[in-house]
Amino acid sequence: MAAHLLLSALLALPLASAAAPLGPDTTAHAPAQTSTRLSWYRPRHLVLQTGGGLGMVAAGAGYSFWRDHADLDILVGYVPKKYAGSTLSLASAKFLYSPWVLSVGEKWQLRPLMAGAYFSYTHGTINDEERGQYTKDYYWFSTDTRVGPLLGSRVGYALPTTTTGRSRYLSAYYELGSNDLYLISYAQNRKGLSPADILVLSLGLKLDF
Amino acid sequence: MPLFTSSSFLRPLLPAATALLLSGCADLLEFSPNDYRSPGDQQDLTVKNLARLQAAPLPPGDTLRFVFTGDSQRFYDEAEALVKSVNQQAGIQFVLVAGDISNFGMGREMRWVDDQLRKLSVPYLTVIGNHDQVGNGREAYQHIFGPLNYSFTYGDTQFIMTDTNGREYNFNGHVPDLPWVQQQLSDNAARRQIIVSHVPPQDEDFDPAVRDGYVRLLREAPRLAFELNGHRHSFSIGQPFNDGITYINSDGFEKNQYVVVTVWGDKEFRLKHVQF
Repeated sequence: MAAHLLLSALLALPLASAAAPLGPDTTAHAPAQTSTRLSWYRPRHLVLQTGGGLGMVAAGAGYSFWRDHADLDILVGYVPKKYAGSTLSLASAKFLYSPWVLSVGEKWQLRPLMAGAYFSYTHGTINDEERGQYTKDYYWFSTDTRVGPLLGSRVGYALPTTTTGRSRYLSAYYELGSNDLYLISYAQNRKGLSPADILVLSLGLKLDF
Repeated sequence: MPLFTSSSFLRPLLPAATALLLSGCADLLEFSPNDYRSPGDQQDLTVKNLARLQAAPLPPGDTLRFVFTGDSQRFYDEAEALVKSVNQQAGIQFVLVAGDISNFGMGREMRWVDDQLRKLSVPYLTVIGNHDQVGNGREAYQHIFGPLNYSFTYGDTQFIMTDTNGREYNFNGHVPDLPWVQQQLSDNAARRQIIVSHVPPQDEDFDPAVRDGYVRLLREAPRLAFELNGHRHSFSIGQPFNDGITYINSDGFEKNQYVVVTVWGDKEFRLKHVQF
């Protein structure tokens, strides 16, 4: 339910921002030109994805910087009980850098390589270290906090520019990643495990607004 | 388009794309490390392995012989070597793994261990360990392997497999499940009984509230041959409660050693150490 609400709220965001310039102009102190510069804290895009260890569905918003070569996305994910034993909600942050942002024709944009990392925190696990349950460092790893590398690609399709003239894309991406615990398992077992064993895939959409 | 004449952009993606094709997208789209979805042949492994075991029944009076080991957690290289070694042993009927199949309680780890142990020429059976209960591991174990408490009879022997990981339940006074254990031990259909669990009762991770009751149940079971445990990663055999009941602890996989247990008569047994 919470995920549905969140999703609806996210989908409504671009409507709200589009509606803002239509409001009464009587209180406007600055000329219209300055509104083309977005405030630093306003997210630049919305994200919706599946997999990647970040949720069956994960949705959020993000920022672009370094002339759109880097993205930082904040996501909230959801996993139903039937796939994990308890209903899980995950909060995660992803950072991805694209060395090349290529225009292909007039409408398409390609990022052949994105490299980065993520951090995630899972809420709702069943056996989650109650106070006094274990002696200190009984388990040396965290049950709920994961970090891991990401590698992927993204292709975007140009949408009509915003009223303020910013270019917008709807893009689709995949990311292959892993997490700290899978990586440790592989690092110590190069024969018994293969790199493919520890890979996790994400598929997602990103919408600039 | 000049940008496509150079393949340098795409080259870093080739290994990833190949891996993707090899392992198939469905397995890779993991919702969480706690996501325990598994392919059909990696669900209910206890039921499947028991069916394999019963397909080669042991006639009454025949000698029982099995490999006893434990704590496969994060030792996949060793698991591969163990399988090769066990497959060279003659006359082995099955393999027992005394818990801690996984290290982090994740379904994918349990499947990695099965990826190795399914190459055994004999079936293998497991009991849940404390590491298998971290996070949502208890649910993953039940999905991939099966019940936390179960019992089966092979030839003249009833095996009683029980969850003794009391600390994982924050010592709630109900693990191990004494009424269930008592019910199994009072079953007198088989000539002898062997009880298998992960945490041994003399360990500090065993719930102190049920320790005395558990030890008493075992002491009062007339056909109990011995108890088998894991958790300590180090082989030992003894009678820690000086009550005539023998407790045998397995080596962890990382010790590159297991024991072959041979059982005959009422409670006669012999252990043979095998290095791999």
